[in-house]
Amino acid sequence: MNLAQVIFYILTAITIGSAAFVVLSQHLVRSVFMLFVTLFAVAGLYVFALADFVALTQIVIYVGGVLVLLLFAFLLSSKESLEGMEKIPSGLLSAHRLPGALISVLFLAVLGFIFFQIDFENLNWIKASVANGNVISVSDNTIRNIGINLMSKYLLPLEIVSILLMMVLIGAAHIARKEPKAS
Amino acid sequence: MNFYLIYFLVAISIFGFIAVFSLVSVYAERKISAFIQDRLGPMETGKFGWLQTAADILKLIQKEYIVPALADKVLFTLAPVIIFVAVYLGFVALPWAPGLVPAHMNLGVFYVFAIISIEALGILMAGWGSNNKYSLLGAVRSVAQMVSYEIPIGFAIISAVMISQSLDLQVINYNQGVLATEQIRFFGVYNVNKIGGFLAWNVFQAPHLLVAYVIYFIASLAECNRAPFDLPEAESELIGGFHTEYTGLRFAFIFLAEYAMMFLVAMLGVTLFLGGWNTPLPNIGSLHLADDTTGVFWGIFWLMSKCLLVVAAQMWIRWTLPRLRVDQLMTLCWKVLTPIAFACLVISGLWRLLIVG
Repeated sequence: MNLAQVIFYILTAITIGSAAFVVLSQHLVRSVFMLFVTLFAVAGLYVFALADFVALTQIVIYVGGVLVLLLFAFLLSSKESLEGMEKIPSGLLSAHRLPGALISVLFLAVLGFIFFQIDFENLNWIKASVANGNVISVSDNTIRNIGINLMSKYLLPLEIVSILLMMVLIGAAHIARKEPKAS
Repeated sequence: MNFYLIYFLVAISIFGFIAVFSLVSVYAERKISAFIQDRLGPMETGKFGWLQTAADILKLIQKEYIVPALADKVLFTLAPVIIFVAVYLGFVALPWAPGLVPAHMNLGVFYVFAIISIEALGILMAGWGSNNKYSLLGAVRSVAQMVSYEIPIGFAIISAVMISQSLDLQVINYNQGVLATEQIRFFGVYNVNKIGGFLAWNVFQAPHLLVAYVIYFIASLAECNRAPFDLPEAESELIGGFHTEYTGLRFAFIFLAEYAMMFLVAMLGVTLFLGGWNTPLPNIGSLHLADDTTGVFWGIFWLMSKCLLVVAAQMWIRWTLPRLRVDQLMTLCWKVLTPIAFACLVISGLWRLLIVG
């Protein structure tokens, strides 16, 4: 094993371990902070997939945005509602947990099925890409590729997403603003 | 093996630089504040008090670690480390001189922007872990402020990146001086590839970036939680803000992170707008001032002097302006800085399309 592989396995171990902690811990705030470790390690795994832009976007959006939002939501929620959560019976197959357990087991089954069905080394499209020289090397400038594709091939989806975000922003501003006094 | 040894050496030297810079700048801050307030400042320890900060750090190292009884011990202990490491990692991508950069990456600007946002999480961790209402209020204020000011800072950065057409900090540096590989024009008109000097800096290549730099500078003060945006540690209301409960070396790390952050934002701003390690002296006729003052040592010298000037301006503003109120802070961010930053972004796009072509 070379150093890159060692780091890869360390990152996977951190991802899985911290994700397990997030799910299993009874301490809600520590779970949220542990989610930060999970997201960070996943960003590291993206770097291994030569998707450094996705890795950094993950840190900006999830760590800098979503996680802070989660924490704020946690800090602003009342103590009673949090205590109510602790009263939920904690058996693995209780009514509250059964749907979640079912979904995760089924998803694991789908993943396992795919993993054992497909021979990743000999997929046709991967072989074709390698034969055509359509591969990215470690030192390539991926951001140029992303930029050109976003502005040409994927312009319509990008615009649709931006309109959706615009609607969300306007909606949030509308909800948050003070109602003018009816005089 | 030498390969890895260099990595370690680079990491240690960045840490050493941060430590020395903090020591010197705390002393400078005291002397500047004393000058502005017509006092003498520290005078007892060493000649002109220049040993004062060294004595302070010795005192901090000796102090006992106190963890409040009801604090969340794990979060409380980890928070200063995360705050410091977030800022420390930011230095990895910043170039010091032609060919001298700790880690060369295509996405340098984006990386620095991403890694700084982790600091907010560390601050929330400190505020929550302390289990103290002042700490928590300070942390919430600090994070609200940092998240809000990330928007104008982001747009100011993007408008500079649009002009230089690269996210690689070293390429941005190269294209602001005599070593440029692309066509660079003063005010988008005169070709200054051969002349260099301050005429080739981004703020003079496209004059609206001067406005963008002012926005960046104001927003970076808020990102560092420094006056006039130091609401998170407003002494009269919150004691010490999120670091109220910290003592000894842990406090020292939070302090170190604050000063490192000052230098980091100064360095990023200088790199993006003020020519980075490029010399301010232009070539005039047969006088090749720009060619003669470009090089590794000159690069470090110019970068350091520009950054220290910016840091001095940060200190000057801290001791001159009064603190803003929370509503004024948010008004300034959302109603003044963000629209102007948007305008800069649009002008950058038009500039690139119509003038530079």
